[in-house]
Amino acid sequence: MGNSVRLGPWVFATLAAFAFQTTPALAQGLTPGEYKIGFITENTGPIAQAGQSFWAGAQLAVEDIKSSKYIGASSIVLEPKESGSDAARSIQAMNQFIADRSVIATACCILSPVAGSLKPVVLAAKVPLVIYGATAAGLPQPPWIYSMTILPGPKDTATALLVSDAIKPKTAAYILAADNDAFKGRMAPTQKALEAKGIATAGVVSVLTKDTDFTAAATQAMGLKPDVVLVYATQQAAAGAISALRDRGFTKTIIGNDVLGPEAIYKKMGATVVGIPFPVGFSDTIGVSAQGKSFVNAYKAKFNVSPDSYSAQGYQMVWFVAQGLKSISGTPTRESLSAALEKLEKFDHNVYGGEFMKDGQAQTTGTIVVNWSADGKLVPWTAPK
Amino acid sequence: MDLFFEQLINGVALGSLYALFGLGFGIVFATLGILNAAQGTYASWAAIVALAAADQYKLPFIPALLTGVVAAGVIALLVDQVAFQPLRRRGKDMLGALITSIACWIILDSLAGTATGHNSLSFPRGTYPSTMYHLGTIPLPVMQIITIAAMVAVTVGLHVLIRHSRFGAAMRAVGWDQTAASLGGVNPRYVVIITAFIAGSTSGLAGVLGGITTHNVSFMLGEGLMLKGFAAVVVGGYDDVRGTALAGVALGVLEVMTSQYLSSGLRDGITYALLLGFLLLRPRGLFGSLTYSRA
Repeated sequence: MGNSVRLGPWVFATLAAFAFQTTPALAQGLTPGEYKIGFITENTGPIAQAGQSFWAGAQLAVEDIKSSKYIGASSIVLEPKESGSDAARSIQAMNQFIADRSVIATACCILSPVAGSLKPVVLAAKVPLVIYGATAAGLPQPPWIYSMTILPGPKDTATALLVSDAIKPKTAAYILAADNDAFKGRMAPTQKALEAKGIATAGVVSVLTKDTDFTAAATQAMGLKPDVVLVYATQQAAAGAISALRDRGFTKTIIGNDVLGPEAIYKKMGATVVGIPFPVGFSDTIGVSAQGKSFVNAYKAKFNVSPDSYSAQGYQMVWFVAQGLKSISGTPTRESLSAALEKLEKFDHNVYGGEFMKDGQAQTTGTIVVNWSADGKLVPWTAPK
Repeated sequence: MDLFFEQLINGVALGSLYALFGLGFGIVFATLGILNAAQGTYASWAAIVALAAADQYKLPFIPALLTGVVAAGVIALLVDQVAFQPLRRRGKDMLGALITSIACWIILDSLAGTATGHNSLSFPRGTYPSTMYHLGTIPLPVMQIITIAAMVAVTVGLHVLIRHSRFGAAMRAVGWDQTAASLGGVNPRYVVIITAFIAGSTSGLAGVLGGITTHNVSFMLGEGLMLKGFAAVVVGGYDDVRGTALAGVALGVLEVMTSQYLSSGLRDGITYALLLGFLLLRPRGLFGSLTYSRA
């Protein structure tokens, strides 16, 4: 009995110390600090215009998170490494991020093949990866890999159906980036949906992502004598194919895709891109939520241009990681962050006004079909009279 | 059948760009003895300068084109005198020049990327001719006519210059042996400077015309031309501009017809298989002379 009395204070002190060791973090929330996201940029190369938008959006998110004290005294730091959309350079950059234990999460990839090549590397190393642009199905794999890309496939189909209902084509030709599985995957359901409506496929013209001359492809497509041409290709290829079609005198309807959204495309293509319908996940002028408006204003103030869909995705990507960090108590690790991200279904910060996470894939509701106007503004598409 | 002829013209126009670029590349190799990896950047820079001249300084098409072409020539001249002339003076071999040219390529490529903001730009409509002519039922854009005509004119001009003029004889003499050419009364430095300028301008012309017709003015423009231009030089023969021109056109037609009738995925494979075949079986190319032994 005497021993137990003597041991009592020690047992109490030990238990108290143990409790002190484990519970204060719960009470204090995220340990203040700078949390680094290893960001594989694509600011150069064939899709640099899109890459620069993603990067700009992400930079703005970092500033907004800090100024709003969303994660308290903590802040997020972006550590960029350029890949030029090259798979080998992306893997090299990812390996460097993996080796750097101060990097708590990573972000990458516009091209699906590049994202696919990083997937096994990331899964083996167990580091959270948030994809900001690649669209191929099956890329997200919680708890380690998430995609903040607004999947364009369903929006492509909705756009094609909307335009077809208005212009009543009998045949459709497709220009497809044959070396890009994501675009193949996007084209197939649209083709099926149009065929189900009685719009015959006149043919599919294959181009390659790194092509620069599309005269022959345009000639081939026009030789099919379609009523409408749908372009499923990356930004530079899509711009080249559309320009070549118009150069060769194709005046019928061309349906584009979300790659035509960035303002740089209008600057590059000018009148050639005016009137061509395409879907966007985000528009700075159409159907913008309150948080979306705030994002648009801040983006314009910082970069002197309007944000596009890619900017919005880059912006939301950083907020997604921030929300994961915010839900962690104590010092986050790659493991605890991945577990936190897996639990997220709704977003605290949402520029789309209706974004949610399902099975590691961000999604939005509704489709905005737009076109560039002659004065360089994105306007809702209306059928030609 | 119309489609076949349309694609044939597309192929000839595309091949004309390869040929024009290859002509500049081939002259440097045959006369100066340099396998110049930086040659592609001259094309990129020519297009960038011509775009600036047309878009920002509102120069009409021909002056803008000439500005780009001359700029490429001047850059080629500067690169030659700054990077290659010291090697020449020290009697360094081709490997040293190749390594130096790779360094020049990286520097000029990076600067071109900075100049374009790493974006792909294009000539605004109205800054170049866009009339569409028709050959029967076959559409013929005026830029394709200009490209083909430019290739023919440059090929004939260079052939006459190299084979039928005193300066051409001096170029060939310097290409063969600079010391012997000096002893024969030729000023090698003068020949080298003029040759570097001509080679840069010729590749620059390909760059400007390619930038307009493909709507792609970027630091990567020259890279595509470089590979295809090199193939044209190897297939056509290093020391005959007619061979380079014919091979360039043939490559363009082969590429377009492969895309039309086989698959776009096979296009580059067939080009490089042809290149490999010539390197293995006929390294002097279609028109190359038997006695030529630069390598």
